[in-house]
Amino acid sequence: MNYGNIFKYWRTVLVVAEMSIRTQFSDGFVLFAIVFQPMIIAILALFMLREKGSDYAVFVVVGSGLTGLWSSLLFVSGNSINVERWTGTLESLVGMPTPFDVIVFGKNLANVFQSLLSMIVSYALAAYLFGYPLSLTQPILFFLTLLLSMFAFICFGLTIAPLFVMYRSVQQWQNAMEFPVYIMCGFLFPIALLPNWTTPLSYLLPPYWAALALHGTSTAMMPFDQLLFSWSMMILFSIVDLIIASQLFKIMLYKARVDATLDVD
Amino acid sequence: MNTINKNLYLFWQGTMLSYRALFAWLRPVTYMASKILMPLAQMFFFVFLGSYASNGKNVDFYVIGNAIQITSVSGIFGVTMSVGGDRDAGTLPYLFGTPSNRFIIFFGRAFMHIIDGAIGVVIALTWGVLLMGLDLSHTNLSALGLTILVTTFSTCGLGLLMGCLSLLTANVMFVNNFVYFSLLIFSGANVEVTALPAWMQFVSNILPLTRGIAASRALAAGASFSDISPLLVSEMGIGLIYGLLGYFLFSWFETQAKQKGTLETV
Amino acid sequence: MNAIEISNLNRVYRAQIGVFNRSIKEVVAVDDISFDVQAGELFGLLGPNGAGKTTTVKMLTTLLIPSQGSARVAGFDVVKQANEVRRRIGFIFGGERGLYWRLSGDDNLRYFASLYGVDPAVSKKRIPYLMELVGLQGRGNERVGGYSRGMKQRLHVARTLLHDPDILFLDEPTIGLDPVGAREFRNVILNLQSQKKTILLTTHYMFEADALSDRIAIINKGRVIALDTPSGLKGHVSDLSVVELETFGTPESVLEKLRSLPFVDALSVEDREQKQMLLVQTKRGAEAVPDVMAALDGQRIGRVIVREPTLEDAYVRLVGGQA
Ligand SMILES: Nc1ncnc2c1ncn2[C@@H]1O[C@H](COP(=O)(O)OP(=O)(O)OP(=O)(O)O)[C@@H](O)[C@H]1O
Ligand SMILES: [Mg+2]
Repeated sequence: MNYGNIFKYWRTVLVVAEMSIRTQFSDGFVLFAIVFQPMIIAILALFMLREKGSDYAVFVVVGSGLTGLWSSLLFVSGNSINVERWTGTLESLVGMPTPFDVIVFGKNLANVFQSLLSMIVSYALAAYLFGYPLSLTQPILFFLTLLLSMFAFICFGLTIAPLFVMYRSVQQWQNAMEFPVYIMCGFLFPIALLPNWTTPLSYLLPPYWAALALHGTSTAMMPFDQLLFSWSMMILFSIVDLIIASQLFKIMLYKARVDATLDVD
Repeated sequence: MNTINKNLYLFWQGTMLSYRALFAWLRPVTYMASKILMPLAQMFFFVFLGSYASNGKNVDFYVIGNAIQITSVSGIFGVTMSVGGDRDAGTLPYLFGTPSNRFIIFFGRAFMHIIDGAIGVVIALTWGVLLMGLDLSHTNLSALGLTILVTTFSTCGLGLLMGCLSLLTANVMFVNNFVYFSLLIFSGANVEVTALPAWMQFVSNILPLTRGIAASRALAAGASFSDISPLLVSEMGIGLIYGLLGYFLFSWFETQAKQKGTLETV
Repeated sequence: MNAIEISNLNRVYRAQIGVFNRSIKEVVAVDDISFDVQAGELFGLLGPNGAGKTTTVKMLTTLLIPSQGSARVAGFDVVKQANEVRRRIGFIFGGERGLYWRLSGDDNLRYFASLYGVDPAVSKKRIPYLMELVGLQGRGNERVGGYSRGMKQRLHVARTLLHDPDILFLDEPTIGLDPVGAREFRNVILNLQSQKKTILLTTHYMFEADALSDRIAIINKGRVIALDTPSGLKGHVSDLSVVELETFGTPESVLEKLRSLPFVDALSVEDREQKQMLLVQTKRGAEAVPDVMAALDGQRIGRVIVREPTLEDAYVRLVGGQA
């Protein structure tokens, strides 16, 4: 798309996000992926990493929040187009003057925003249930990083959704794509534990840079030049994702109108 | 045909049909992705997390715990979908309209998943040996095999109960996922049961899987069959209790539905 | 200017048949269709199941790419200028899907209004007005999942009027509505017609098409087989009368005999519960009755009526003649 569109249609993006949140809050599957699964992972990790001392509580809160972000991106944003097809609304959405990727952008915004909820829930769990003192080492930089990470996640989601629509063979791997990313992006343990050959793969995943910078600004004093490097990587990946996504959306919509697959039956 | 043969036939039919209906939409790739790779990736994740937590000391603990926990993929998701599948397909009224033996129909739903789940565990343990340095050289393998079967059986018992609950609620996937992930905490797969708070230990003890995992760990450490047989007996008993609870709920559900005419709307 | 211009439109579906022995089967759904619809006209599109009506409508609403030929809607090409077209049209594909069931009726409208770029201040006033127009006043804050089928279809009508489009495509909008609901719906359409909107309507209810349409195209197997005003179409059968006979379980052999009589132009059979209605089209009018009765000798016969032909009779003759 012409990315000026996001600014031109900001009001639409917000309404889409609002309605998305309203529908999903009564959807058990989404609620589980966004709130409960990361919460359970947080509880597990808090138990498991107990020996490491209270410093690790913040690490777990941030890390389990990231698992929630990725799962919701994979399952909720990834299916965001297919879901419209199943409800029969895809035709109405495509047959409208608003560019379709603007709509999907709004939906992804809602998902990423909802996922922050899981971080807040884990925070509350660690603070009140386990009684850990929680503080961020570089709070301002942490929140800036969080904003940037959200944007990077949304852009990543924009490339995944059309791929899942166009290639069922890719979507078949959806279930198997959840934990590998938890592992390779260093959400809850450093990737130094992994075999060396996986390191370049980690570098190619935007969530890796998000995790690096978020952990760095919350539990350690990340040197500013390293932080800047992570930020640049996130921005770079976002731009690349947006370029790829705009092509994918064009191809996907044209193909769907040729193959008559906008509707399911 | 005499009654036994007829019921055996019914059992087999129900088993195969429900299993095939469930996986009909799956291509081999999807099957591999969701039944082999997904559990494997999950196992890797917790093993890495555990070895990070224990500074690499306790890897076998996590490998065995998570490998056995994989039974719940079949036990919870598989069985629930087989039982609940009838509702989604709208075949429930027809099923309740037949004179066939309910008990047989009901347990037929779980049978294939016991085998499927046991195979999943064996695959996971094999990965553990090949990739994660799991050492089973001092292990009584036939006892381990039996442990796996018993554990899968009891997990499927819980699955049957949940499948029936799923006939009552609209949010099946929510309940399933919740129980599945909770087992990761309560079963002792990743945290020693004794390290949990008292109320959580209580929950652990009335769930399937907990004893199965404990028995498998003991066997890996060289315990004999007689050492673990009490664990297996209780594990089996727990599975039976859940399965029977499920069966009674299923029967209750049928009478309710017939009395209130809610068959179509459930 | 014509609101819709269709020239030599053609659409082929490729369906894969067989799982193992994969082969491609081609279905020509729309086969070289051309016609124009004038601005402000209510144009009916009739035809049997699978004739290609929905396919045509989907191409005109930019949701399907034609295999050949072209179409312009509101002066814009439906493929090359899809977005210009989308701004000016509204569409409904009958049935209850296509709404967000977890959201309220008002929220659904608010959502679609924002996607059509309707100014929030405008939609705030327009949504209650439209809910009233379609008879859903007071129900706007309920979840759509709890609406009846007819209510959902009315909500679809409100949805498609949010941005006040000039051209409307209504594909079987009254399917499954109760008689009163369908009548109210027709009043809504008449209201729109009086606002000079162009409407393309497909339906299987002949009286509906007859009552509403300025002109009607009948399509069969992807081709236009007749295009005229309702009275013009009835002119095709003006020389005929229809003898309606109520019978009970007449065997096929007897029907064959009846069909082969020289004065019988067409025979159609409608099953109504345990009864059958035989509709005999003939040029001989009431005089044919004794001969028809003779052919049905031995059958139980109820009421017999001789009447003027309707649009439905014209339709049956045109489509039946093709089959
Ligand atoms: N997505 C599709 N893939 C393959 N064939 C299709 C598809 N959609 C429609 N067809 C075929 O195209 C032909 C025309 O279908 P279409 O839906 O346009 O008919 P229709 O006139 O709207 O019929 P109805 O009155 O039943 O709604 C039919 O033979 C149908 O089987
Ligand atoms: Mg149609």
